[in-house]
Amino acid sequence: MKAVWAIACSMLKELIRKKDFYVLVIFMLVLLGFLSYQNFFQIEGVSRYIRDFGYSLLMLFSFIIAVTFTARQLPSEIEARTIYPLLAKPLSRHTVILGKFCGGAMVSIIAFTIFYVIFAGFYMAGGEGKSLILLGQGFIFGILFLCMVSALVMFFSNFMTTSANITLTFLIYIAVGGFSDFLGRMVISSKGIITALYGVLYYLLPHLEFFDMRVRITHAWDPLPAWVVLSLVGYTFIYCFALLYFAGCIFKRKRF
Amino acid sequence: MQQQAIIAKNLYYTYETGKNKVEALKGVDLSVNNGEIFGFIGPNGAGKTTTIKLLLGILIPEKGELALFGRAPSNTETRRTIGYMPEIADYYRYLTPVELLTMYGNIFGIEKKLLHERINKLLKLVGLGEVSNRLMRTFSKGMMQKVSFAQALINDPDLLILDEPTSGLDPVARKKMREVIQDLKATGKTIFFSSHELSEVELVSDRIAILNKGRLLAVGSAKDLLGGKAEGQSLESYFLNMIGERI
Repeated sequence: MKAVWAIACSMLKELIRKKDFYVLVIFMLVLLGFLSYQNFFQIEGVSRYIRDFGYSLLMLFSFIIAVTFTARQLPSEIEARTIYPLLAKPLSRHTVILGKFCGGAMVSIIAFTIFYVIFAGFYMAGGEGKSLILLGQGFIFGILFLCMVSALVMFFSNFMTTSANITLTFLIYIAVGGFSDFLGRMVISSKGIITALYGVLYYLLPHLEFFDMRVRITHAWDPLPAWVVLSLVGYTFIYCFALLYFAGCIFKRKRF
Repeated sequence: MQQQAIIAKNLYYTYETGKNKVEALKGVDLSVNNGEIFGFIGPNGAGKTTTIKLLLGILIPEKGELALFGRAPSNTETRRTIGYMPEIADYYRYLTPVELLTMYGNIFGIEKKLLHERINKLLKLVGLGEVSNRLMRTFSKGMMQKVSFAQALINDPDLLILDEPTSGLDPVARKKMREVIQDLKATGKTIFFSSHELSEVELVSDRIAILNKGRLLAVGSAKDLLGGKAEGQSLESYFLNMIGERI
């Protein structure tokens, strides 16, 4: 575990020393601050709008950080040839993958936490329907979402360039939101081999939409029951484990 | 009988580049004694780096046997005893040399206090003591090479594998590097290094191996290799003759 932590920590320093993250923080502060300023004029429903916009923004920014940071890890190690001294160290290739994943997830979770604190400040200062439980669930789901994204990107980075990886992950993010309902309905309504095909596709896809709390937080719906939260923790763990295991197997077969 | 740090028997390795196959190594036999400096020379594409990758367990030989201190190179425990300096590596530019060495030291699981002492010692040894906390994005190629050499020594290895260690270094730094290599030998380390600088190889190596087109052409001390040749012949002319004879 010390090796995993060592690899992951070096990525954290990258986050701190690169300007991308600070630009996103300032951008988010400015946008949410501007929207809150509109609240002085008592425009109806603006607090709900701030929640909706603020939540979408923080998820998007955290997603961007998770994808861009994780996607460039393996390709840049290969390009800079630092992969050789790294692989010459006493660690397995699965450990390298796990370290890079933990680094990507940790970096995006730290960025997400900062974004979330800003969002929570605006949320608590806003109008009606505040729920700390809901806010807490949103935070947990955000972390799970970023773990899923980092694992997915890590898996793809075995056989894709950084830009192709980023593009594909963005496409999956958009497609999953739009098509998973459709796929789910097709699994129920179709018959025979088609059901099986839809079923395989449905269960293979990373259901990132499961972690979206935007509507629930915006409209101050009731918090989700504990079993749903626990099920999603289990789902994330299994999905990430499977992706990283296969990513490690592919990485192990790679010749450098 | 002297224990051997490296034993390679009948090593074969083939690269696949699209539809083409390139035989990088064709039956290489090699043995490196404990505590010696072993120079590995050959023209570009001879198979030197492939051999090094096999020694590090990064590649697996297609055929043949390979053992480092009697164990497989891919074994994690074997790698604990090895230090490796690549020919070129553009180390993480957002880290300082101290942070880089700390990361590698932690991968080896070195205790914090010992690691701190060793990092200070190594950075002074390679002449980077004064810039130890400066980001490496400001470093020249030569400074990166020094960082690379320091990271290879972070685990106090028994076997040091150096791929073109003096590339990018100025004459003063080259001389210093040679001295450090000699000092390491004096402490009982085994050093296996590849280089294009034949005069350098001649100066520091106990034994030299010449590789060309995936085949080992000659192994021996500079004196042995040049012994049968005309008086005053240099390793360079011997090397050129050797690869010329076989081309």
